[in-house]
Amino acid sequence: MDYFRSGLKSVLGAPSTGSLPTGAETVERLVSRVSTSTLLEDRRDACRALKALSKKYRLEVGAQGIDVLRQVLELDRSDPEIIGYCLDTLCNITSKEVFEEESENNVNMKVNVGEQFTEMFLKNSENVTLVLGFLEEYDFRVRWPAVKLLTSLVVSKPKEIQDIILVSPMGVSKLMDLLVENREVIRNDALLLLINLTKSNANIQKIVAFENAFDRLFDVINEEGWTDGGIVVEDCLLLMLNLLKNNTSNINFFKEGSYIQKLSPMFVLPPNLEEVGWSPQKVSNFHCVLQLVRTLVSPNNPVQIVTACQKTMRNSNLLEALCNILMASGVPADILTETINTVGEVIRGNLTNQEYFANVLAPSNPPRPAIVVLLMSMVNEKQPFALRCAVLYCFQCFLFKNEIGQGLVVQTLLPSNTGNTALTTGQLLCSGLFSNDHLSNWFSAVALSHCLIENPAQKEQLLRVLLATNLGAQPVSLLHQCAVFLQHTSKLQAKLGILMLLSNWMAHCPQAVKIFLNVPGAMAFLTAQTSASEYDNNEELLQGLCAFIMGLCVAFNDNSVPNYSKENLSQLIEKRVGIETYCKKLGEVSRHEVYAKAAKQPQIKAKHSTELLLEFEFCKLFKVLEGIIIHALGVQRDLSNGISELSLSEHENALLLQYKELIRDQDKKLQDFQRKLNNLQKEKEQLESLSTELKERNNEFSDQITLLKAQLAALGSSINGTETNTMPLIPYTATLNTTASQTNEPNHQDNLLERIKQLEKEKAEKDAELEKN
Amino acid sequence: MSYAYLFKYIIIGDTGVGKSCLLLQFTDKRFQPVHDLTIGVEFGARMITIDSKQIKLQIWDTAGQEAFRSITRSYYRGAAGALLVYDITRRETFNHLTTWLDDARQHSNSNMVIMLIGNKSDLESRREVKKEEGEAFAREHGLVFMETSAKTAANVEEAFINTAKEIYEKIQEGVFDINNEANGIKIGPQHSPTNPSLPGAGGAGGSQGSGCC
Repeated sequence: MDYFRSGLKSVLGAPSTGSLPTGAETVERLVSRVSTSTLLEDRRDACRALKALSKKYRLEVGAQGIDVLRQVLELDRSDPEIIGYCLDTLCNITSKEVFEEESENNVNMKVNVGEQFTEMFLKNSENVTLVLGFLEEYDFRVRWPAVKLLTSLVVSKPKEIQDIILVSPMGVSKLMDLLVENREVIRNDALLLLINLTKSNANIQKIVAFENAFDRLFDVINEEGWTDGGIVVEDCLLLMLNLLKNNTSNINFFKEGSYIQKLSPMFVLPPNLEEVGWSPQKVSNFHCVLQLVRTLVSPNNPVQIVTACQKTMRNSNLLEALCNILMASGVPADILTETINTVGEVIRGNLTNQEYFANVLAPSNPPRPAIVVLLMSMVNEKQPFALRCAVLYCFQCFLFKNEIGQGLVVQTLLPSNTGNTALTTGQLLCSGLFSNDHLSNWFSAVALSHCLIENPAQKEQLLRVLLATNLGAQPVSLLHQCAVFLQHTSKLQAKLGILMLLSNWMAHCPQAVKIFLNVPGAMAFLTAQTSASEYDNNEELLQGLCAFIMGLCVAFNDNSVPNYSKENLSQLIEKRVGIETYCKKLGEVSRHEVYAKAAKQPQIKAKHSTELLLEFEFCKLFKVLEGIIIHALGVQRDLSNGISELSLSEHENALLLQYKELIRDQDKKLQDFQRKLNNLQKEKEQLESLSTELKERNNEFSDQITLLKAQLAALGSSINGTETNTMPLIPYTATLNTTASQTNEPNHQDNLLERIKQLEKEKAEKDAELEKN
Repeated sequence: MSYAYLFKYIIIGDTGVGKSCLLLQFTDKRFQPVHDLTIGVEFGARMITIDSKQIKLQIWDTAGQEAFRSITRSYYRGAAGALLVYDITRRETFNHLTTWLDDARQHSNSNMVIMLIGNKSDLESRREVKKEEGEAFAREHGLVFMETSAKTAANVEEAFINTAKEIYEKIQEGVFDINNEANGIKIGPQHSPTNPSLPGAGGAGGSQGSGCC
């Protein structure tokens, strides 16, 4: 502070006797000095002083100085020192952070000043271009504060800065050059700037990737010692994550650029890790790399890309390294959990990877399959909740689109003649299914249900599974036991788990439905639940799922159980539950927030064990079959008769109103069309009468024409006669003679010729007339 | 999947001339008659062989619409090759070539190889631009020229490969500085198996200090 005071003194001169100037006054003087001084040294000193005051008197410096500072950037750009002060000052006043000095000074400041000054500065996009230009200045005093100022701006107003940088020529390139900067402070701050800049902007992400970001970042990670490196490694990984998240084009580029291969070595644990231990930074770095892998193979990405990435991960031994971590000792629980999730997504839906995973053995004595070891954790109450969820997700990924894997798990439950006593996946799941830990019940039920998805053969195979319940008692089928357990357990979570398993099992499987219907009390239980009119906390889900199972019993019923035929059950629902109530119960499931949450993504995301109620694949099944069930019940027919609007749910009511509107609309259109039709008919009649009239006239005309033709023919033949032959002329001349006056012989001849000409003319005229007609 | 060289390409030209279809035909060997408008840029890649050397092509297919022009310009500088595409059935796309060419020349490095492509040669009946006109334009501006059809795949391979050949020749002649990645060329990772932890070490060595002005 002494340094700043002396600086102030030298700028302002010794304080005048009496009261010290207020902060605002000082700032005002300094600002005017920056704008009016002719000597560079004076301006520089004033800027230095402003910088010193810009935290404590941020509001004053910003309000009065922002324009002047901007001018300095433009006019004094050749002097690194003053530019440095200027950039630092701007950085302080636009910062989102609240400074200590500031808070003791201005207690009642509520608005975010930094953001407002950022907005002022960004009003003119030229300002940003100006700052970007300073990145090219090598001088440390300029380049570093320029990076910091840009970071401060992007933190306050990301969207605006992103847009400006996108359109400024070479904007991103200038930033990328900073990653090869050998002054580490600048490079590290540039990393932070890029992390903020690439957040949720696909265009910038792609340009950054195009500008060799991945090469640069791997270079930095290498320099810093891979996952053993410091926070800079984490920053590099975070930037990569930004570039890849939901950006298919960049993921494709990452894969094609062989960068996945560069990730693999990071997962190889050093042999002495157990002695050295995991530093907190290593844990963070490791988390980031795992996230990176998951981003590449996320179930939200297009299948084609996921498959290609999975293949590369297997071929580059990344999957192997991950599996080794699963089986290694001393791995922190959260890393282990995340590794399990990652392995899951690397093998999900990829048969080769799933097969590889199935063959991974844990280094136990005797060696057990990794899957068995994992499932042991899942059904173990003492394991952390997140880890158990991860194991279930991984197991689901293993079974996803994996008929062989599904078959293998079911196989372990079937009676075999090999006297194998080793613990199997199936045994673990069965013991979990009926254990006293209701979370284990839920996990096991869901896990088992995934063995049956889209696999009719395994649904039938699983029906063959028999359990010995009590010593000496008759063994019962697994499905039977599930239905019994459902009625006996008091825990909602366990019941929902079993119901989801039964749903997956009975859907499209009449044999399963048959066995279920034969379980004593099963149908009564469902009916009671479905027709219950009250419920507390989440019990509506239980009732909805019971309704769903009832529906499955109708839809997939082969009428082989007496008293429980399709018809019987439909009537049961109609009479005992009532169609209205039934539909309402069913509808409540898909409207439940738990349903919405579970249907979002395959991974189970719950913070607490009580949140685990529904599961992704079940939601998918429910969505598909809800309509089929309602159709099977003939609900449509009943909807159209008898149900008053009042009894309808909000959604149905809206639908009804919509239909009414539609019908009204169509009615109106129908009337319109009728009117138009009448008009057209009238017009048609008019046209018809006109047409007959015209026809008659036409006939008249043609008669006239024939008449005229006949006359003409008569005339024509007489004319022809005169021309061609003299003989028939005599009688004609005789007639002529009678009409004409007495003429002598030669004259007579002339007259005749004249007469012929006249006739010919007449004939031509007649011809023309005829043609006209 | 090691390669001797990696070339970066861009595809530019008016909207609707078939840039994305050319890329799809080249990378996936298929044709999609209805293609969504490209937003910004999309990436594609393929390996080819020239002079018995494996060469990896990384291709950025840009949006032709004016609105994306400032974004797509960011890709000019780092590209070694560009396919400048027009549509032989739409005269105006040919008329705009000078604008595209000026833009490309202004923002790219001077050695960038530009291939002029008259696309949709399968639509002979609707042709508006004669082949000779394309040839003349290419000759006048020092470009390589070819007519292609992304639909029938005619000349598509050739267009991409000939551009690569041209770049390859320039490298042999020493015109390109292959150590400067800003030129859009990278030397492949060296095949030495002794350093498995850092497969990229071979290519990135020479670029330090380029951040200085």
